[in-house]
Amino acid sequence: MRADMRGDMRLDAVGKRYGIRRPWIVRGFSAGLPAGRLVRVTGPNGSGKSTLLRVVAGVSRPSAGQVTARPHCGYVPERFPGGLPFSGREYLVHLARVHGLPGAAGRVRVEEWLERLGAASYADQPVRSMSKGMCQKMALIQALLPSPGLLVLDEAWTGLDSAARGALDAAVRERVAAGGTVLFVDHDPARLAGLEDERWDFGSPGQVTVLAGPAPVAVSPVVARVERVTIRLEAADAAEALERVRAIDGVRVISVDVEGDGR
Amino acid sequence: MTALLRYQAAILLRSHRWIFPLIAYGLLIAVGAAGSSSLAETLDWSGAMLVPVTAFLTRAMLTAEPDAARACVAAAAGGPARAQLATLIIPLGGGALLGLAGVIFDVLTAEAAAPGPGSGGLLAKLTGAARHPGIVAGGLLIALVCLLVGSAAGALCNPPLLRHPAAAMLSTLAAIILGLAADVSPASAAISHASAQATGPLSAHWPGTGALLGAACVLAVTWGISIAAATRRDNWSQGAS
Repeated sequence: MRADMRGDMRLDAVGKRYGIRRPWIVRGFSAGLPAGRLVRVTGPNGSGKSTLLRVVAGVSRPSAGQVTARPHCGYVPERFPGGLPFSGREYLVHLARVHGLPGAAGRVRVEEWLERLGAASYADQPVRSMSKGMCQKMALIQALLPSPGLLVLDEAWTGLDSAARGALDAAVRERVAAGGTVLFVDHDPARLAGLEDERWDFGSPGQVTVLAGPAPVAVSPVVARVERVTIRLEAADAAEALERVRAIDGVRVISVDVEGDGR
Repeated sequence: MTALLRYQAAILLRSHRWIFPLIAYGLLIAVGAAGSSSLAETLDWSGAMLVPVTAFLTRAMLTAEPDAARACVAAAAGGPARAQLATLIIPLGGGALLGLAGVIFDVLTAEAAAPGPGSGGLLAKLTGAARHPGIVAGGLLIALVCLLVGSAAGALCNPPLLRHPAAAMLSTLAAIILGLAADVSPASAAISHASAQATGPLSAHWPGTGALLGAACVLAVTWGISIAAATRRDNWSQGAS
């Protein structure tokens, strides 16, 4: 809802590193995240996928560049260790409130999602005593229950039983169909295969490339043809040139890589 | 913000991490009440003891929530800054409750510090205190200064700024000692200013305006640093550094 008013969500020359002397994990990455887009993030272990997802989700602030027009976000971390002094149900009701769903509205959503993911029978168990899969379901439900405009899933399928994996696949499709943006990491290439619009791939350290997914990228009907062109600018005022390119009707800047000392 | 505060308060209550600071404060003010000669002096002591108690209550809160849960809440609340603010407000509120309880305890147990007619009864003690509201008000202000200094010490020496448990605990202790003993600390300034002014057992102890302003500034700066760190640092990649 908020995304519609403020335009599409965008990442502009986003960079992240954990300290001035630390290497850049992501650098100079620009991409649009319009409504209804499904993005798979790929790359080997330790390449920075989780970090990028956290920046997109707004859990950590980029060290350079900015993220604009982020809709309400549901985030599922890679691991959800249950160190909380609540039962599953209590935790979810608290999180529903934080998501802006107080009282009965929140409770109804919690019950709906507990049912959908097959977790209702042990929802009153303390989170501390839950298995990995049960905890993972709690993390999933808190992210899904507000029907967020942006859903960020960091290997959210691991540890789930096959029924819950199917339910999550369905939930992702629903979100995208309802105009939500979904970003996910999963090491199973068959996961949501053929559905993603784009793939963000971590190649060399710090560099993320946007690749077209198998699904056709939604374009305005005026633009009949989609072409991807790489332009290399060797100039100090590259940012200005980039702005002019961006202003051209029908042109979308997909990714920007900054080489050399771009600070 | 209310939802965040409720969530954090529930974590603190349900994890029972408030019990140790509560018992520690109870013992400390009991010792203080036994060893002081006037109500004003007892209140100085109770206020001072809020520095360590609030610092450790803040530490208890800052380490209560698993990192992954923090990340989920940060996304849900629209940013880690608000989540961190709620995490700092709750132990400050808890410390304020303890401080208030401490002042009430001191007034009720005060031994003829403010002698009223027919001293000894509970009512007499209350009316005795009521006849010297300055003593109680001064005590409350000193407690406020110490509360803010304690919260600042806790915020500065614990996650997300200092993640290693041993380093965090030792520096929290060091910050408490500095907060109570160093001349530059608003807490020690408040207490020494207060007792320097005192002319007799019935004179009120007031912290200086400088101490109040100083404590507010120290709190704002340390909370700011803690919140900034919460928005920038990543939980997993930092490890124990």
